[in-house]
Amino acid sequence: MGTNSMRRVTGTLFIPVAVVVVLIALCSANGVSLFNTGDSFLLLVRGVATTMLTAMALSINLNSGRFDFSLGAMATLSSVIGATTTLNLGGGFPMMAIVTLASGMLLGAFSGLVYVLLRISPMVCSLGITLLYEGISFTITGGANVSFLLEDDLTSFAKSPINMIYVIGAALAVMYLLFDRSRFGFEYRGLITGQAASVAAGAKEKVNAVSTYAVSGVLMSMVGLILASQMGYIEAGKLNFGTIGVMFTAFLPMFIGGYIGRFSNDKLGLLLGALCTTLIALAMSALNATSTVQSLTNAFLLVAFLIFLSNEDRITRAWRRFTRRGGGGTSLSSSLGEPDGATSLRGANTP
Amino acid sequence: MKISKKVALGVSAAVGLSLALAGCSSSTPSASGDGGGDPVKMCVLVSDATSSEALGFKAYYTDYIQSNFNVTFTYSDELADANAEKTAMEGFIANNCKAVISFASADRGQQIQMAEDAGIFYSVATGTLPEDQYEEFKDSPSYIGAIGPSLDIERQAGYDMAKYFVEEGDTTFAIFGGGIPYYIDMHIHRVAGMLTALAEEPSTTYGGQKEFGAILGKIMQDGTIKVADFSSDVYELSGYVEAWNFGDSAWQANLAGVVASQPDAILAAGTGFAVFGAAIAGTDIKIGDIDAYTEENKKAMEAGSLAYLAGKFTSINGPIFAATLSAVEGSPIRAEGDTALALEQGYWVATSVDQFTEYLAADTAENPVYDKESLEPFIGTDASYDEFAQFVSQYTFEDLVG
Amino acid sequence: MHDLTTTTRERDKKSAATSARRRDRLASLAPLAGLLVLAIAFVLVGSLRGVNMAYSVQTLVNQSVIIVIIATGAIFIFAMGSFDISLGASTLVAAMTGALAYNATSSIWVLLIVCVITAVVTSLISATLAAVFNLPVFVTTVAMLSVLGAVAVALVQTTGGAQIRIDSSFAREYDTLEMKFLVAGVFILLCFFLFNVTRLGRVEKLIGGNPVTAKLTGLSMKKTAIAAFAIAGLGVGLGAFLTVLRTPTLTTTTATDIGMNVLVAMVFGGMPISGGARTRIYAALIGGLSMALLNQTMTTLLSESSAGNGIAQIVRAILFLVVVWIAVAGHRGRLLPR
Repeated sequence: MGTNSMRRVTGTLFIPVAVVVVLIALCSANGVSLFNTGDSFLLLVRGVATTMLTAMALSINLNSGRFDFSLGAMATLSSVIGATTTLNLGGGFPMMAIVTLASGMLLGAFSGLVYVLLRISPMVCSLGITLLYEGISFTITGGANVSFLLEDDLTSFAKSPINMIYVIGAALAVMYLLFDRSRFGFEYRGLITGQAASVAAGAKEKVNAVSTYAVSGVLMSMVGLILASQMGYIEAGKLNFGTIGVMFTAFLPMFIGGYIGRFSNDKLGLLLGALCTTLIALAMSALNATSTVQSLTNAFLLVAFLIFLSNEDRITRAWRRFTRRGGGGTSLSSSLGEPDGATSLRGANTP
Repeated sequence: MKISKKVALGVSAAVGLSLALAGCSSSTPSASGDGGGDPVKMCVLVSDATSSEALGFKAYYTDYIQSNFNVTFTYSDELADANAEKTAMEGFIANNCKAVISFASADRGQQIQMAEDAGIFYSVATGTLPEDQYEEFKDSPSYIGAIGPSLDIERQAGYDMAKYFVEEGDTTFAIFGGGIPYYIDMHIHRVAGMLTALAEEPSTTYGGQKEFGAILGKIMQDGTIKVADFSSDVYELSGYVEAWNFGDSAWQANLAGVVASQPDAILAAGTGFAVFGAAIAGTDIKIGDIDAYTEENKKAMEAGSLAYLAGKFTSINGPIFAATLSAVEGSPIRAEGDTALALEQGYWVATSVDQFTEYLAADTAENPVYDKESLEPFIGTDASYDEFAQFVSQYTFEDLVG
Repeated sequence: MHDLTTTTRERDKKSAATSARRRDRLASLAPLAGLLVLAIAFVLVGSLRGVNMAYSVQTLVNQSVIIVIIATGAIFIFAMGSFDISLGASTLVAAMTGALAYNATSSIWVLLIVCVITAVVTSLISATLAAVFNLPVFVTTVAMLSVLGAVAVALVQTTGGAQIRIDSSFAREYDTLEMKFLVAGVFILLCFFLFNVTRLGRVEKLIGGNPVTAKLTGLSMKKTAIAAFAIAGLGVGLGAFLTVLRTPTLTTTTATDIGMNVLVAMVFGGMPISGGARTRIYAALIGGLSMALLNQTMTTLLSESSAGNGIAQIVRAILFLVVVWIAVAGHRGRLLPR
């Protein structure tokens, strides 16, 4: 029992701790501090919040083999609807938040409905939905930005670290209850691993799919709300798949999260994954790395981590052989090698 | 859902036909103004369609000009590169545009060549052609010319702005480079002008250089501004931000770092308030910006965040429109030796709320300074080049409003 | 897809088979029908609005040929059930290296060869990474997207400016309809031959449709993947060559939208995104032309309204979903597709 929980704790914390240690070392070696401004904590929690929410939205559909390009478009359109309504009706932040989240849920549900009714490949469906939502955003504003830079009550939400922590906590709680403790969650898991069997056993696949899309919509609308509040304006005029970039930033945290999720809970894993990537971004800014260097580093880390994940067996076997030859003792593999979670990453790998 | 194939194909055919019907029944755009005849179709290439400056320009053309002259305007998408520009030009030519007014500069040479091949007119708004390109195309009857701030005016704008803050007693600055990483010439020249102004102080250099030409060369070579290369005993360059990557955590952190370094003023090459407005709220940091006269910038000035604005006024593109329409109607205004126009316009500078309010009120899309009465004398008449050049050169607020 | 829980009698089985075949044929004709409808709409709208038809048709070819070439090559990747999102970035890098090589040698052949070689090498790097390290191909191409973007920035900086440009009069001389038809024609015929006459096409369809069976029959997945990526690289290289001729000024944003446009073109042409037995090599041709026709028609219809571009995109989205839905009809089972 003791070694089991030891293994789980080590597995969960190994990557985040390693990341923090490496980054602090790197920063000290270059004479800068990782948290070098008064705003650093706000930047950290805000970055973790948006990255974690995006990674959650991406993973809940990707786990079921459903690739979704429309995350960015949902975030944009829901925040455009929320901001435009609030500005026209003269409301405050609570109104903007409620309208944005509600629109996000409806947009997500619509996206799911289109998929379920047309029965086409989810990736292709998401391409069409992306074009549709981008077009609607553009049409609402005529291509202009929705701007509220001087409305303090709308822009103050994203300036408070406490608000971001509330968001993270609420998201974790809701996702945990929904996906780990409810019937919806059980059906969801059943449908992932045994689609035919679950349907035969009575799981309502269509309802489940639409609901999952709706949840993803709510998550992305929250991201849109935070970004809108932070920037003070929303770029509503991006057409031709201009909004899909946000999805790519969620890959690395999602994969890290999936790995950590084997040792504890996958939602916690996504939080820690988001923490790792946000810390890396902060470090790169502290080191004054150019954007080229930053994107190269991110790409390299993504590929390196994937190489590790896809070749874990080979690596663990080689490591065992190496340590056995070296004279035994506890090896890395015996403390980390046995995953005891149910969700495997293989499903997430295939597009 | 089971739907038979016949029904589905029938639906598609219906969609296709309805597109055709929509095209047929869609109302022709309104174009009142002098005389009958079909309105002259003018097409506009834009590389920026969302900033308040761009929207102001568009409102001037599509609301005021379109209702006062016998023209219609068709705008392109936001064009990011030369290929997009070419695609847009092809669309314009296929749809029988008589003239193209261009705000997009990825490959002007290509645009002019396409206009020439198609036999339509082409002009450049709020910009200029580089020397070599002007030499190449100045004799082409298709190329009407360029009216706008030259790169020298851009340099001057940056220079004047930095000088203003220096004279106010500020010593710590941060710079926003805008599109420098995308090699947007006007932003590069503005920032080079700013650094040149600071380098007039004896101990100050950028990359060891003090002269504008050398500083410009260094920026072009680096593709960015390197804070470490700025050295001075009097001034401090406390930070530098460029581009608009709001979704990127590292960019956000950089922005926060710049604000936290507490400069006296942030010198922005463009869109300064949009980028920093939210971040500097509640601090004493001032922004100096080279942008446009919009309601938002006015509010920023009232709130004290914006201390200096060098801006293009909304109807600044009136003269180039007049020259273009005149050419379409058969009376092109040509410079000496039957060459294309190359005339300069500059900025209006406001350093106080009262000044700003005055400027904003004087020139709106509904009541522009370049209104019908002032433009008409040059359209389809035998106005001389000298008269027109004189007219364009009087672009300051004092000249136009008095 | 067979539905194992239902039983049918002999007569029902036969009629079920014939109606399935009929549905299959109709579904595969749907993209062609869509192309026809769009062509009719284009002609109707064009003549009603007084569009310059000759120029318009020329523009159609100009705007669709690059996408058609790259998408036809990409079909080899998608047929296997793989995915490549870095096609736009590869096109850009190939175009830039080709342009730099041209500037050094002033030879059109050098331009062509360097474009093709760069594109094939880039493609093969993705394939090899995925094959050697057992990586999911999609994520590898996502990483390549960043890497190639950085390479493009580095290449631009070698000229000390923001652009890489070649002599525009040279480009204009060769940027002709004949050149485009020649390059596109040769490449499409080659692809048609490789896909439908040689084993390659059948092998890819099997891998895409049923990878487990493919492996068990002893097919080499890795060799097929490498061949597929190499052909796609050839397509990208030819597309890059035509890109340089079309727009002799290259910046870091050139060709970035090609990745998604290729996807949309293939889907419009009836290509199943996960590959398999229903892959058709001419899907890209039909889809690319359909997209160009739709874009032109939309431009003509909506040019005067300020939200025109947004509405055009909404129409495109709806048509896209309708086309895909029709093309997939008849192949649906009880379960939702993945």
